[in-house]
Amino acid sequence: MNRRVVITACSAITPIGRTRAEMLHCLTNGVSGVKPLKEDGLLSSFIHSKVFGTVDYPVTYDFKRSFRKTMGPVAYYACQVAKETLESSGIGQDLITSGRLGVAFGSTHGSPTVQREIYKTFFGGTQSDVRSIGAVDYLKSMVHTTAVNITKMFGITGRVISSSTACTTSSQSIGFGYEMIKFGMQDAMLCGGADEYDTTTVAVFDNLLACSTAFNDTPDQTPRPFDAKRDGLVVGEGAGAVLLEEYEHARKRGATILGEVIGFSCNNNGGDLILPNLQGITETIRIGLRDAGISAGEVDFISAHATGTKMGDVIEAQAIHNVYGDHPPVVGLKSYMGHTMGSCGVIETIILLHLMREGYIVPTLNLSKIDERCAMIRHSREVKDYPIRTAAVQNFAFGGVNTNLFIRKISQG
Amino acid sequence: MTRDEITAHILQIFRKEFEIENPGLDDDLREEHEFDSIDAVELLLQIEKMLGSELTQEEKKQAMDIRTINQVCDYIEGLARIRQNVS
Repeated sequence: MNRRVVITACSAITPIGRTRAEMLHCLTNGVSGVKPLKEDGLLSSFIHSKVFGTVDYPVTYDFKRSFRKTMGPVAYYACQVAKETLESSGIGQDLITSGRLGVAFGSTHGSPTVQREIYKTFFGGTQSDVRSIGAVDYLKSMVHTTAVNITKMFGITGRVISSSTACTTSSQSIGFGYEMIKFGMQDAMLCGGADEYDTTTVAVFDNLLACSTAFNDTPDQTPRPFDAKRDGLVVGEGAGAVLLEEYEHARKRGATILGEVIGFSCNNNGGDLILPNLQGITETIRIGLRDAGISAGEVDFISAHATGTKMGDVIEAQAIHNVYGDHPPVVGLKSYMGHTMGSCGVIETIILLHLMREGYIVPTLNLSKIDERCAMIRHSREVKDYPIRTAAVQNFAFGGVNTNLFIRKISQG
Repeated sequence: MTRDEITAHILQIFRKEFEIENPGLDDDLREEHEFDSIDAVELLLQIEKMLGSELTQEEKKQAMDIRTINQVCDYIEGLARIRQNVS
């Protein structure tokens, strides 16, 4: 069984806004969502990188206490984008609770904010304080907290997949959701990822010398994917959800189809857990193209992982060049908002859907002077009318995990 | 603590901690107010604070069949009696 899979709704919370209009405004006017790192009274003073892709506007929630009691900040993000996605999709409660709709949703490590409180109590508290660490704290902080708070809130009884592969978390969510529907296991999948504001992740990358530190006084000038002056990634926060649906199901109910997922690949470098790997990434792209059943020449736009690290961008540019040459324009969307970790794959997919709809492409921000080692591919450097028909979304994670999603525009008549 | 004082205190806990306003004293808390096992564990912590002493594992297990505010109050009265007799 090989069924077609389409995207019929989406929602995002990002450092460059929530709605399509807000995000496109930032993308077409060069507005960055990277801000100064906030003082957290624990790690921030030890961290060299003083920038963060920040959601600096209020997000309004309307969740009952019976839902709130098991939710940490990351689950608030996840449930909000899930709620908006389900509401805007127009699907009925009968499908949501039928067992034919599943959830593929994850985060990098649950809720670090709640974990931090647990450890504070654990190491600094009295015996009675320690006893106060309860089941609720686990439910709020556990690694699959996003997925199961979503199932609880909406009464979803289908399959649950909760990837937790750092930067490929939500691209895996979409990819595994696509496979669930393609192979007939489910008719619809609510897919995505979220990560809350967290300095622990910054500290990890900072210790590995992977974070940007040269633009602490000018946060909007970093990260700088593919640029000669790039000096590392910028951690960010955010969330995104998409509803995947079997094509005939969507068509019959008259759903608005935002795009079709035509292919997905996921592999591992089979070795080092940190260093980018040219062979592994090149192979991911090739496997994805085979899954999509298309040639490299048919891909007319690429959303690169492009975190702004010294080596990562060079290896990715080489891999793109190996497969595509200098044909499709390449954009690094993290240049606008930093690396939103577990949500980057889905946010980049949602932005791609918006660009497909609008018929133009946007430049990689802060790409002033292309690093000559990244110059062999075609960089997107300006806002330009450009109808995208088939695009790739590339994501790579610590642990050597690589993913590639292929999305196609569908003409609805 | 009189029965009325216990009831008033418990209703205050339900309002403040569980956002359940003025439940009927014989309402089935699970059926009518979505009060689940997670809440029950939280309530036990509040009862420990109220009594100023820890509950034994056996005492906690006894609470798992409680369904109404009146039963919560019965349970607390029983715990208070035991603690009074011991002291």
